[in-house]
Amino acid sequence: MGIPEIEDAGCLLCFGYNGADSHPIVARRIVRGKQKGMKIICADPRVTETARISDIHLQLKGGSNLALVNAMANVIWNEGLADKKFIDEHTKGFDEFLKVIEKYTPEYAEPITHIPAETIRRAARVYATTKPAMILYGMGVCQFTQAVDVVKGLANLALMTGNFGGPSMGIGPVRGQNNVQGACDMGALPNSYPGYQNVTVPEIREKFEKAWGVPLSDQVGCPITHVPHRILHEKEEKKRIHAYYIFGEDPAQSDPDLAEVREALDKCDFVVMQDIYMNKTGLYADVILPATAWGENEGIYTCADRGFQRVRKLIEPEGDMRPDWQIIADISTAMGYPMNYKNTEEIWNEMIDLCPSFTGATYEKIEKYGGVQWPCRDKSMEDKGTPYLHKDGIFATKDHKALFYGTDWHPPVELENDQYPMTLSTVREVGHYSVRTMTGNCRTLRNLEDEPGWVQMNTEDCEKMNLKKGELVKILSKRGYCITRCLPTDRVKPGATYMTYQWWIGACNELTTAKLDPISNTPEYKYCACRVEKIEDQQWAERHVMELYDDIRAQMGIDTGKGAKA
Amino acid sequence: MNYFVKGNPDLCIGCRTCMIGCVVAHEGKHIFEVDPDSYSFNPKLHMVKTANLSVPVQCKHCENPACMAVCPVGAISQKDHCIVIDTEKCMGCKSCMDACPFGAINMTVQTGKFQADGTEKKVANKCDLCYGFSGGPACVRVCPTEALTLVTEDELGDAMERKRAEAARNAYLETHPQE
Repeated sequence: MGIPEIEDAGCLLCFGYNGADSHPIVARRIVRGKQKGMKIICADPRVTETARISDIHLQLKGGSNLALVNAMANVIWNEGLADKKFIDEHTKGFDEFLKVIEKYTPEYAEPITHIPAETIRRAARVYATTKPAMILYGMGVCQFTQAVDVVKGLANLALMTGNFGGPSMGIGPVRGQNNVQGACDMGALPNSYPGYQNVTVPEIREKFEKAWGVPLSDQVGCPITHVPHRILHEKEEKKRIHAYYIFGEDPAQSDPDLAEVREALDKCDFVVMQDIYMNKTGLYADVILPATAWGENEGIYTCADRGFQRVRKLIEPEGDMRPDWQIIADISTAMGYPMNYKNTEEIWNEMIDLCPSFTGATYEKIEKYGGVQWPCRDKSMEDKGTPYLHKDGIFATKDHKALFYGTDWHPPVELENDQYPMTLSTVREVGHYSVRTMTGNCRTLRNLEDEPGWVQMNTEDCEKMNLKKGELVKILSKRGYCITRCLPTDRVKPGATYMTYQWWIGACNELTTAKLDPISNTPEYKYCACRVEKIEDQQWAERHVMELYDDIRAQMGIDTGKGAKA
Repeated sequence: MNYFVKGNPDLCIGCRTCMIGCVVAHEGKHIFEVDPDSYSFNPKLHMVKTANLSVPVQCKHCENPACMAVCPVGAISQKDHCIVIDTEKCMGCKSCMDACPFGAINMTVQTGKFQADGTEKKVANKCDLCYGFSGGPACVRVCPTEALTLVTEDELGDAMERKRAEAARNAYLETHPQE
């Protein structure tokens, strides 16, 4: 499926995905779909912009995703709405799956999800009977300790209703960040070479060894979320990490449990930071390598729909900086492995010849068609790529059959308790992207929102604590605290709080837990226990925030003469 | 008749691109200056988000504007289908702000302009339908979901005809329920 197909779906199940804040351009497709009569089911604990225009809003309790998904599967099966022909012809493991979902009646799911059983039934019926039905999911699925199970659960829904392999159907992960798909495609994962070729398979390793002329490891590498542990607590000396090369990433802002991340960066013998602007991680770096920004780069990005697209240089970079690929080539050459690429196309050509599923995606073809969705195996212009990964229900398994995979729901790791009676989920806000390295330096966006950011809280909770809009509050968890502004809103449920993770002062990752999904190693950013405290002396708090801001800017070498509001 | 910009909450995604577009249109090349204090960030429309609604709110360019009636110095006038504030004349008395039933007027600091006592000048600020700029209202042009439209006399006339036809049909159906 591709992003443009969204608007032609009969039904859209939007699960843990807030397009209006994360990807306004995708949200535009959802709005257009609505105008064309698309039914929208939105599963989100908040009233998001999509929830607002949805036909059914499943305002679930945070951390209950799989209970809801399994209950929808239960209804679809028990009410005879499943596509039995598709299940028989294209799938395996359905009987085992049925045993798992048997107990997930809507009545069973109601107290877990806080959604009335009848609403779950209604949603399941609309999803199963409106064709074609598409699923989009986002970080509201992925950033839990039970994440991969839910992705599989959503795939089960699409499988049992035959919604695979054609236009405007299937299940679409709308990735958290621009080109995160591209990073994975290019092997920026601990377990794979470019093109999802596993590092532990001897033939694949040998292929890359031959191409690059060096011996390569047959071991899976270290996921980013394991790095602090491997620096701080690794007992085996040989396994301990001593040097950390970070580029295009700001773990001292974006990773969970920032106190631990800072300790790790502090203890690490050697830290290299390569980025377009100074950031929090840079404060711990031994070496800073300034890189060019998007408008100064050539290359290829991958869109969420597997589409390779060219990006072109708009302006020549000025000053002491280089494109990332040149820095990497120079470092490699200096370390004794010469890299002499003339341009990004040379690198791309080397890569596609080593990756069967990308081989056909030449610069020329991407240029001509505007984009190419992988797999694209043949260099001839006739192979235009693959819009539907599982076309006609033929799946990428040995026997071409999809596998049902049922698991039981389990609650998030850190639940509300006497000391920390509320929950915190980290979210996005439109305008500021990711850790704000780019958008924080765009002044009109900074005019719209600036430090120390907001905590969204239900109006009733705010009234109980006598908190007004804009008031500075202290928010705490077991791991740390930060100061931010209170934003009372009826769009969130009582007991829940939401913060965006890009603020230096209102840094919600001081609070988040580093507990991970066992398969994806993604942290549970969407759930931890917290407490909000009123600050009586607001004048002190305002001054304190300003001092903190000036202090960070001074440490980063930013001109503070203009004051924090600039 | 005066024109006005109307937002459609069914299309709006609350992204505030309209507010940025407004500032960029009114500040022009100033926003590219290195000194961030050299331009004013004074959007002339405001995003409102309630439990179930997202839509920007701006001046209706009323035919009998309360703001214009209360302005003691005649700083508000009607020009080419819109109501505009002359910021040179405005003395910042806030009467218009108080009078406007839509909350469409706010007080803003004018960067680089000073009052007699040396403090920065504060004036009333509201939508001027991008009066004096080519291309029509910037907010309408930049909205990614086409949630904003410039309502003109023609458009309003067409809508009225459609509504009258609908009303006539409903009236007929009330007396002829079997059809």
